[in-house]
Formats: sequence, structure tokens, C-alpha cells
Amino acid sequence: MAKQGLKRQQNRFAAILLLPGLLTVLIFTSIPALTTLSYAFFHWKGFSRGGFAGLENFHRLFAFPFKDQLFMAFRHNILVFVGIYVIQTSLGILLAYALFKAPRGQRFFRTVAFFPVIFSLVIVGYMWQSILNPFYGPVNWFFHHIHWEFAAQTWLGNTSTALPTLVFINLWRWVGFPTIIFLAGFNAISTDYVEAARIDGASEGKIFRKILLPLLAPSMTIVTILTFIGAFEWFDLPYVLGGSSGGPAGSTDTLALMFYRLSFGSVDSGANEIGIGSALGVIIFAVVGIGATYGSKFLRAREVEA
Amino acid sequence: MTKMQRSVRGLLAAAIAATTIVVPAVVSSSAHAAVELSFWSWRPEDKAFYEAQAAKFEKSTGIAVKFTPYVATDYNATLATALTAGKGPDVMQIRAYGGMANLSDAGNFMPLTNADVPNLAKVSAGMKAGAQGYTDKRQFGFPYSTSVLGVMYNPDLLSKAGVTVMPTSMQSFVSVLQKVKAAGITPLGNGTGYAPGLEQMWGALAPAYYGGNDFFNSIVAGSTNFNDSAFVASLKAETDLYKYMPAGASGLDYNTARGLFANGKAAFYIGGNYEISYFRSLNPSLKVGWFPGPAATSGGKRYVTNWADGAFAINAKTTHKAEALKFLNFLASKAFLTDAANQLGWIPPLAGIQSSDPAIAAMQQKIPTMGTPFLTLVGFRYGTPTSSSIMQPGFQKVAAGTQTVEQLAKSIQDGVATWYKPFTK
Repeated sequence: MAKQGLKRQQNRFAAILLLPGLLTVLIFTSIPALTTLSYAFFHWKGFSRGGFAGLENFHRLFAFPFKDQLFMAFRHNILVFVGIYVIQTSLGILLAYALFKAPRGQRFFRTVAFFPVIFSLVIVGYMWQSILNPFYGPVNWFFHHIHWEFAAQTWLGNTSTALPTLVFINLWRWVGFPTIIFLAGFNAISTDYVEAARIDGASEGKIFRKILLPLLAPSMTIVTILTFIGAFEWFDLPYVLGGSSGGPAGSTDTLALMFYRLSFGSVDSGANEIGIGSALGVIIFAVVGIGATYGSKFLRAREVEA
Repeated sequence: MTKMQRSVRGLLAAAIAATTIVVPAVVSSSAHAAVELSFWSWRPEDKAFYEAQAAKFEKSTGIAVKFTPYVATDYNATLATALTAGKGPDVMQIRAYGGMANLSDAGNFMPLTNADVPNLAKVSAGMKAGAQGYTDKRQFGFPYSTSVLGVMYNPDLLSKAGVTVMPTSMQSFVSVLQKVKAAGITPLGNGTGYAPGLEQMWGALAPAYYGGNDFFNSIVAGSTNFNDSAFVASLKAETDLYKYMPAGASGLDYNTARGLFANGKAAFYIGGNYEISYFRSLNPSLKVGWFPGPAATSGGKRYVTNWADGAFAINAKTTHKAEALKFLNFLASKAFLTDAANQLGWIPPLAGIQSSDPAIAAMQQKIPTMGTPFLTLVGFRYGTPTSSSIMQPGFQKVAAGTQTVEQLAKSIQDGVATWYKPFTK
């Protein structure tokens, strides 16, 4: 009885502690998200709400002329996720392993690897725009200097190189983050397993593949889910470098850019459609929410106890 | 005198002294600073100018004005949210045509008559249309400046290339571009990396191909459409010039493109009057010449594409209507517009105000005889997708070779026809 009373008291105390956080999430996340959801079911004239529209905004989003843009943007999001995930995760694991094995200077190199993450993405965007500028940028200057004219591309202006270039810039800026997560993962693995394997005569490569990598699964789950969410909500870098239309010629368009364009319009090209924009917001929310939930469930089931 | 009498006299003296100081201060404050109008804009870069003008206005009327600028790209959403919540400013800068027509139609701005703002009567109908709603055709603002498109050139570079006569037709323009290129100078500073710039370039060249006002009126009425061969020819007129842009033009952002012209690296730049202040900020000694878009054929008609850049409007819910009207009339006055022409490079909507910049003065002079509306901006930005939102990336697709001009014209027609009623009849 006394035990139950204590439990109730503890629960009440926990609820009081949780309340500020819950209220913040409710006011600044849940209510705006639900409001956006409701916007998708109304007619809009600019920023003024009209009558109930049912599913009309969703129908319009999946019809001409928005359908093509929608599928193209979705395809770009998938490509960005695959590109970033494959390269960034591999590179992150390698860098983390190098830092893990580094006999000295681990703290220094860890800071170096993480350093670009603290830069504002807008600054990173403009910096790379200057570095890749076809007229005065050092990258093309270097290629011209060594007479590799074929390599001196208009990186951000060519429809076939713009998206891979954005993925590369994203990698440069963000690779430090998975590196730190994986490094923490490596450090959390008990040395007993490694030492036992060594006594059994396992090579370093075998220890990495058969022991360290499988035990890194919890870190992998975190990185995979965060990369998935980031890739499907990718907005800031393409906006800074390609504008709200995902230039050039929509080659860097993403779902989030399309949402912004539809919801807020554009100074240079005009009108907005809040209803269709909100319908797209609902779809992005569903894709990210369902993907992250099931992805996390699936990946957690494959984790091994360290 | 008793101690009591001395105290009473002291209190009286203090009271009189306090009254002498406080009362005039109260009177003064009620006479001069009783009303402070809020005034919003999307031009943070013009803050010093507007604050100086507000000080002038306050000096003559006693009405204070607080100027608050917002980031241009966020302005529409910021203003719309504030107006919808009943917390908008008393007076504000509004975007022209489709830019804010939905806010006009929703009754957010005070309708204006010539009696309210007498200088409205002196503004052309085309300019006034910039500050009317899409469905509600009353006047909701005073259009403050005309934007003009055309061809800007660097006279020093042209004389270096041996060009002495300015081209008048597309054929002679192309000959000049070739001559400049042969002299080792980049002919055009424009690039294809900045999509809105491609629509503006088209706007400068196109009316000579589709036939200016007649075509504008026909297409707005729905009696012709964007698949018309004349419209397709106007698209091709632009894309044919891409080969005179710098190598790597697809990677040229807006500022780098303008920088090439401003720093004497390119002989021509096709764009608007608003580029000139940026050119001069980079290179104050730059000489800029200007001519209207060339005729399609030798001896053909030439046009000067122009539109209202924006307008000043009054909040329909303002509690300071009389003061706001007084300020709007100040903003519509010849004195204010003259200062704006000379300091901000505006082309005023009233006759008789001459810009001190020779290139802008040349544009101003041609508007009355050669003026024609910017077709895509004036006519087709009232619904989604706008013609501009299809045209801008569409030109980039043509430049990349993934689309033809015929396909671009068709995509504009199909897209606009989803909301533009005259096309659905």
C-alpha cells in the first residue's frame, strides 16, 4: 500500500516535470501541425481561408500541373537520401574508425571533423557558391590551371551536376555528425570482445567486420533515421543555391521547396496556393512520420546487445 | 511671516513652477506627436531615405511616421498575416498586379478616389491597374514607380569594338553582338543561371515579336493564347541570343551576371531600370547607355515594356484615416517622387519629373509613345501556376536542350488554362 502511494507520488512528480516540455511541444509543434492539416481541407484565396474543400486540394496536387513537379521533387528526395546515406554513412564510419584507432590527437581531429557542422548552412551555401563559381571560383581555376578543361564544369548551373553538387556540399558540412555518433558507438563497445577475438587470432579487418560493425547497429539506427528525416525535409541548401524553384530548371527541386513555393508564393513569379501547399505538407508529414517509425522499428529489431 | 505662511507660499511657488514646466510640454506633445503612423515596406535598403522623408513630413504636419522594413521575400506572408489578424500597419508598400491582388479583393486596403489622392488622376490607366484587385477593380493604392525593361550597354566597350551606331532591329543587334565577340569582348552579361532574369530578358525583347498592346489585349481576352506562333517567335528571339552570353552562363548567378556588366567585362545587359543602381554601387564611374528592345525586322515597331513596380496603400482598418491619407498624399507628391527619382532611381508615375540619371531619363522619355505592359507579370500572375513560374525554369530547360520553345509555349498555355477563365471558354 505504502509502495503504491510512493509510486503515485513519483508519477505525479514526473508529470509535473514533464509538463513544461509537453506544453511547449503542444503549443509550438502539435497545434501548428494540426492546424496545417486542417488548412489542407479548405479553399484559400491568397492568405484568406474560404469554405470547406474536402479532398479537392489533394486531387489538385496529384493532377496537372502539380503532379509532375511532385513526382520529380519526390524522386530528388529519394536520390538525396540514397546519396547522402551511402556516402555519408560509409565515410562517417571510416572517419570514426580512424579516430577510434588514432594513437594520439583524437580530440583535435574529432574537432576538425565536426567543425563544418557548427557553420550556418546559409553561410556554407554561399561559401560553396563562390568556391564553385565558374568565373572566379578556385575549383575551376585549378582545373583550367592543370589543363583539365573537361572537369571545369558549371557545377551549380548544369541540370545534371547541380543535385550531386548539393549532395556533396551537404556531405562536406554534415559528415562530422555521423562520425561523432559512430565514434561514440565504437567507444561504447566492450574491449572484452575485441581482445577475445584477437586472442583467437582474428585480423583487424575481421574484428572490424565481424565484431565492431554489428555492434555499431544502435548508432546506425540513429544515423539512418536522422538522415531519412533530413533528406525528406531537405530545404535550406537547395533554397540558398537554387532558389525556391529548385533551379536550374527544377533539377534541385524537393518536396519541402515545393511546399514553400505553393504555400508562400514567390516574389519573382507570383501567387500562392495555401490549400495545395498544406496538402503537400500533410504528405511530407506522413512520409517522414511513417518512414521514421517503421524504419526505426525495423532497424532496432536487428540491433545486437553489446 | 509665520512658519506656516512661509510653507504655504513655498508650496504655491513650487506648484506654479511645476505648472510652467509641465503644461507647455503636455500641449506641445499633443500638438505634434499625438499620432504616430506605422509604415511598412519590403525595402530595408531604402530605410535612410524613408526616414529622412518621414522627418520632413513630421516637420510640416506634426504627424510622426515609424518606418519598418521587412525582408523582401517574407514581406507578402508577414503583411498578409498581420492584416488578417487586424494588426497591420496604417500605411504600407504593396506589390503590384497579382502580387497582392488577393489582399485587395479581401478588403484589406482602403479604396481610394481621385478626391482622396488628387495625383491619382495624373497616373496612366496601365499603372493604376497595378494597384487594383483581380475581382474588385476599385483603386487600392497609389502606384509610385514604373519599372522599365530594355537593353543597357557600355559605350566605352562598344567604341573599343568599333560600334558607333546603336542597333534598331534584331538583325543589326545580332551583327553588333558578333562584332563585339570578334573584338574579344563578352557581348552579353546575362546568364541562364538566374531564372527570373530570363523572363525579364524576354520581356524586353518579346513585344516586338508578338506585337505589343494588340497581342496583350487579345491574349488577356482569351481570343488568342500562348501557343500563338507570334508568342513562340518571341521565346525563340531570346533563346537565339544565349550563344552571346559568357561561357558557363548556366552557372551565372544574378549578382555575378550584373557584376560582369558593371565591371566592364560585358558590353550589354538586358534587364530593368532597377539594375542601374546595383551597377553604380559596384562601379560608380560606369557609363550606362540604354535603348528599347530591337524591332523584330528592320523598320519594325519597337516597344518599351513597363509596369507598376508597387504602390502605397492604406489599411482599411486604420484608426488614423485622416492622417494616413495626408501621408499618402505626401508620398504621391511631386516633391517626394522627385527625391525618390534622384535618390532611389525610380521612374515616377507623374509627368514632369525628370530623373538626373541619363539612362533612366532615356527610358522615361520613351514610355508615353512606346510603352506596353509586361505581359506575363501584368496579365497572368493572379492564379497558380503563373505564366512566370512556368516560363522561368522553362527557359533554363530550353538552354539545357531538354525542351523546345514550342514545348515551353504549350506548357505555359496548359498551366495557365487550369485557372484562367478566358482560356477555358
